[in-house]
Amino acid sequence: MFRFLVRRVLGAMVILLLISMITYFLFFALPSDPALLSCGKQCDPQNVALIRKNLGLNLPIWTQYWHYMVGIFAGRHMPVGDCPAPCFGYSFANQQPVWGTIADSYPTTLTLAVGGAATFLTIGVSLGLISAWRQGTVFDRIASATSLLGQSVQIYFIGPLAILLFSTKLGWLDRGHDVDWAHDAWGSVTGMILPCLVLSVIFWSNYSRQTRSLMVEQLSEDHIRAARAKGMSSRYVFLRYALRGAMATIITIFGVDLSAVLGGAIITEVTFGLHGLGLLSVQAVLRSDLPLEMAVMLIGATLIVVCNIVVDLAYAFIDPRIRLA
Amino acid sequence: MRINKARQVSAVLAVGALALTAACSSGGASGGGGGSDSGKKATVTNFGVGTKADSTGPAPAVDGAKNGGTAYSLDQAGFDYLDPGQQYVSDQLSVQLLYNRSLTGYKIDPKTGKTIVVGDLATDSGTPSDGSKTWTYTLKDGVKFEDGTPITTKDIKYGIERLFSDYETQGPQYVQKWLYGADYRKQYAGPYDGKEIPDAKISTPDDKTIVFHFLAPHADTPYAMAMPNISPVPKAKDDKQKYNNHPVSTGPYKIESYQPGKSLTFVRNTNWDPKTDPIRNAYPDKWQFQLGIAEPGLTNRLSADTGTDKFAINMSGSADPSKMQTLTSDPQYKGRTVNEYQPYVEVFNLNTKRITNPKVRQALAYAFPMSQVQQAFGGGAQGDLGTTLLSPTVAGWKKFDPFGKLAKPMGDPEKSLQLLKDAGVTTPYKISLAYANTPRWDTVTLTIQKALEKAGFKVERKAIDPTSYYTVVGKVDTPYDMYRTGWGADWPNGSTVVPPTMDGRNLQDGTNNYSFLNDPKVNSEIDRINQITDLTQQAAAWEQLSEYVLQTDTSQIPFIFDKYFNLYGSGLGGVTYNQVYGTINPNSIFVKQ
Amino acid sequence: MSTLSQTAAGPVAGPASSFLSVRDLYVHFATEDGTVKAVDGLSFDLERGSTLGIVGESGSGKSVTNLAILGLHNPLNTKIQGEILLDGQELTGASERQLNRLRGKKMAMIFQDSLAALSPFYTVGRQIAEPFMKHTGASRREARARAVDMLRKVGIPQPDLRVDDYPHQFSGGMRQRAMIAMALVCDPDLVIADEPTTALDVTVQAQILDLLKDLQQETGAAIIIITHDLGVIAKTADQVMVMYAGRCVERGTVKEVMQRPQHPYSWGLLSSVPRLDSSVDTPLVPIPGAPPSLLSPPPGCPFHPRCGFTDLVAGGVCATTRPELPEGERRGSACHLTATQKEAVFIEQIHPRLR
Repeated sequence: MFRFLVRRVLGAMVILLLISMITYFLFFALPSDPALLSCGKQCDPQNVALIRKNLGLNLPIWTQYWHYMVGIFAGRHMPVGDCPAPCFGYSFANQQPVWGTIADSYPTTLTLAVGGAATFLTIGVSLGLISAWRQGTVFDRIASATSLLGQSVQIYFIGPLAILLFSTKLGWLDRGHDVDWAHDAWGSVTGMILPCLVLSVIFWSNYSRQTRSLMVEQLSEDHIRAARAKGMSSRYVFLRYALRGAMATIITIFGVDLSAVLGGAIITEVTFGLHGLGLLSVQAVLRSDLPLEMAVMLIGATLIVVCNIVVDLAYAFIDPRIRLA
Repeated sequence: MRINKARQVSAVLAVGALALTAACSSGGASGGGGGSDSGKKATVTNFGVGTKADSTGPAPAVDGAKNGGTAYSLDQAGFDYLDPGQQYVSDQLSVQLLYNRSLTGYKIDPKTGKTIVVGDLATDSGTPSDGSKTWTYTLKDGVKFEDGTPITTKDIKYGIERLFSDYETQGPQYVQKWLYGADYRKQYAGPYDGKEIPDAKISTPDDKTIVFHFLAPHADTPYAMAMPNISPVPKAKDDKQKYNNHPVSTGPYKIESYQPGKSLTFVRNTNWDPKTDPIRNAYPDKWQFQLGIAEPGLTNRLSADTGTDKFAINMSGSADPSKMQTLTSDPQYKGRTVNEYQPYVEVFNLNTKRITNPKVRQALAYAFPMSQVQQAFGGGAQGDLGTTLLSPTVAGWKKFDPFGKLAKPMGDPEKSLQLLKDAGVTTPYKISLAYANTPRWDTVTLTIQKALEKAGFKVERKAIDPTSYYTVVGKVDTPYDMYRTGWGADWPNGSTVVPPTMDGRNLQDGTNNYSFLNDPKVNSEIDRINQITDLTQQAAAWEQLSEYVLQTDTSQIPFIFDKYFNLYGSGLGGVTYNQVYGTINPNSIFVKQ
Repeated sequence: MSTLSQTAAGPVAGPASSFLSVRDLYVHFATEDGTVKAVDGLSFDLERGSTLGIVGESGSGKSVTNLAILGLHNPLNTKIQGEILLDGQELTGASERQLNRLRGKKMAMIFQDSLAALSPFYTVGRQIAEPFMKHTGASRREARARAVDMLRKVGIPQPDLRVDDYPHQFSGGMRQRAMIAMALVCDPDLVIADEPTTALDVTVQAQILDLLKDLQQETGAAIIIITHDLGVIAKTADQVMVMYAGRCVERGTVKEVMQRPQHPYSWGLLSSVPRLDSSVDTPLVPIPGAPPSLLSPPPGCPFHPRCGFTDLVAGGVCATTRPELPEGERRGSACHLTATQKEAVFIEQIHPRLR
């Protein structure tokens, strides 16, 4: 187990390093010039040169990259001000410290991700289980149809619709706003209900379909019949044997989805006007804001890598046949 | 040019492309989609210079207005800069009115929209001497910082000294260049090493008086002094770049809290005395800015008009193009719509280094399918057909249409063919048309291609990555013949349009003369007009020169005058518009009670 | 062609108090293509302490019959008719609750593929202990002790350690033993072993069969062994039932069926099995053709398309009339050949081949 962790963490670090390099160098491979993008009106060559120097873009790319990476672990002194570790630099676009910007945005993304993931996991798996339990019944058919519908809709379509219906017209739910757990815990909950629900819609249909088919597959296994032959009740067998078998796959999918939403649910955030990592990443790309782009990319990649390791650990925990080494 | 960032971001988000219509050099007019010519008739404003009496506070009361309440502003982007020294673009210009006072400012008549420049911190718009090379300003009594410290001319001088340090790259550079010339940073590097600007440049004989000694005459000075960066900064509170997050207020509101990119809240600054202020009514007790609200959600909120959105407005961004059809046709929105000119003119530059024969350029101007492009732009509500290089928001603007575009907005292929024949060029004449690769520009350029090919041209369209578009077309040796840019005046005078876009001396990569026009007559005219000390005469001369360039050189084809179009919450009153900034004027807004 | 309404095979005149008595069992599956008549009128009896071997090709209805006894068919697509009496208790109409109480406790099943039939997610010990806890109300600790006991009984070395192993950590033979332990943990009166040794190599096969016999002697359970391997039958069973197309075509004691088989299908089965003591020159004779479709079984005797002796029966009756097992007899076969013909054909044509 320990060896596994060491190996995976080292591997993850290599991957992150590669991602950071690719992001950084790819950025400079683009013909766009961040200095030109942030010169506002004053784009005469002198001013652009000055901005380039202010942003550190006058240095060789390797040097810039080195400073950036060192800054993450050791902090940096920058012209804009001191930047303690973890230093992701200052935004090219608005001179705000990137780490502070991300720290500000992250509670919203985290709440949306955890709330949304809990919602889609609960709804999706429950529907799938009931469908598998009641195979071929009306419920099963309705659930399948709903799943298909859920899978084919888009957030930018149902999001505004949900706001219009539940918030503007009926007034049942908050339109959705950023969380602020420290000052407004209740508002943080109510403001996230609608975004979490809408985010979950596109996911849970997948879970209900996957869960149903996994359960149906599991239920046809010999060991299910064997357990029934021992006199175990069908409910017990369903939950203890079949679900246990389906769980490994569900957790794998869930790990992937969770890491994706933890990295920022772009469309949901944009639709509900939430200031999370997703919105930041859009802004970063739109404005060629390299430090922000790097930070968002690295955080997203880290989350994916970490989630992968956790999934593998969970997998080993669920399936005794899998050995971690 | 002034950037209308909100509209850019909105356009890009609207098409779902993760690419920016470069921040440098683009005008607005990124509307599109629905909407026809049903926009309101925008006002062509009178501009002028106010008197000392005009400069005296308080601001004339707005009918029915009362103090109190909270006004909300929904902004698609955030404010990159709150440091007045760094402010230039329209969303920043509108927000700084709440907390920042410059030497001068714009006073807008709520009924007629007439806009005059008056003294803001200063008692008047400035007293010229030495043939308009020297300008003297006197501060009003009772003007204070938010902590109650009286504002002195030393604070204003310090505020200007900061602009020379190397981190101040964003704001206008007029005053700096007028004092020192183009390489001003080499001659003075800012106040942080203890050096001051010598009295020979800026003197403050006492706490109330400040005198500017420019290298050349500048009749424009009253306008230049209205820029946000000609404002006081208390030396003790200046922490360079970090000042950006907590500028000290001199206006009616001070920052209560600020989360960059998310929210910005203003509360009353009790040390602001309305009697000193001729331009700000400051009715609401509080201003709350919600930042980073994506479209079309923002427009939906304004049209839904529920909850606190009843008191909300979008200061600088136009409504989402996809909603234009509904918003312009449904009468329920009429009472709370603002639809006015912005200072931007959308043009297609004709590369004079490549298309050297003016007759060919004129043929292009005749052939240009203006009304089709307008439709692709979102129709009349987001942009009028533009036929001049100056926008109607510039003093001295006159209707001028040398190519008969208003009579034949679909283009005049016969005239074009005739001109090509006269020019003696082989037809079809090959044109490479570059565009930022977004769905909108793809459509627009396709429209143009069709029209031009009927008029004797062979058009080759070249898509360029949107983030590098302006870099590519701004290169002196750019391989393209025709490409769109936008341009907006900084103040209502042709001096901020003609020299930057038409002066052909010092052509280099990345200037704003995208057509690389270098006409000796234009160059010398620019020098002559700059010497004119009477603003009205000067404005008329710029108008004339711009007409000459359009008609004779035809280095650009203007096609759209951008317009602001948006709704505001039904709970707001006194909503007026600032033509100079191209944004809502927050000064007169009140919350209905 | 027989239909459900016909009583195809009359009940055997066994004692009414048989421990397990199956009467006129029909198991039909509804599929998209039609009704599959997997078991089509089957009757047999089984006494305590004795072993019934059921032989037949795949799809002959062996396993389906036994799953029907356990009540493990999916009720949504399965139609079961007839009666199954276990120790006097009717099983076909029994509720799920009643069946749950009987399964594992009174009747148990040993599956063919122990790797598939044991859940990979739980330890062997837990899977053995689970039914014990349920049926006897034993505590976790007691059940674990019982699991260790059972593992010891089935010959697992170091049972107290292996009890916490997962199935994949066992060898094939050990897993099969563990499976037997799991089936027998509650001392069931009826054990159904569905091809219990098919997946094992020959030496292990013998051990497992010995183990089953030993355990049977100890507990006095009735055993049904389902197999297609006549060798297994010869070694373990007392009674034999040969199944074909969902029906019993021949029954009798092991000796009777193995030494004097009466049905052409049984002859075919015997001829297709190699014997250790037979000459290497004797060719194996496979049964020609394939088992019939149970969706639309052939009219008359379902075996007639594959049978080489239909010309011996006059009037082509084999293709029109389904032969019945003689009613009320312990020994018999469902074939239109006369007893004399059967005897003659076996002795003259089949027997020599088996040598």
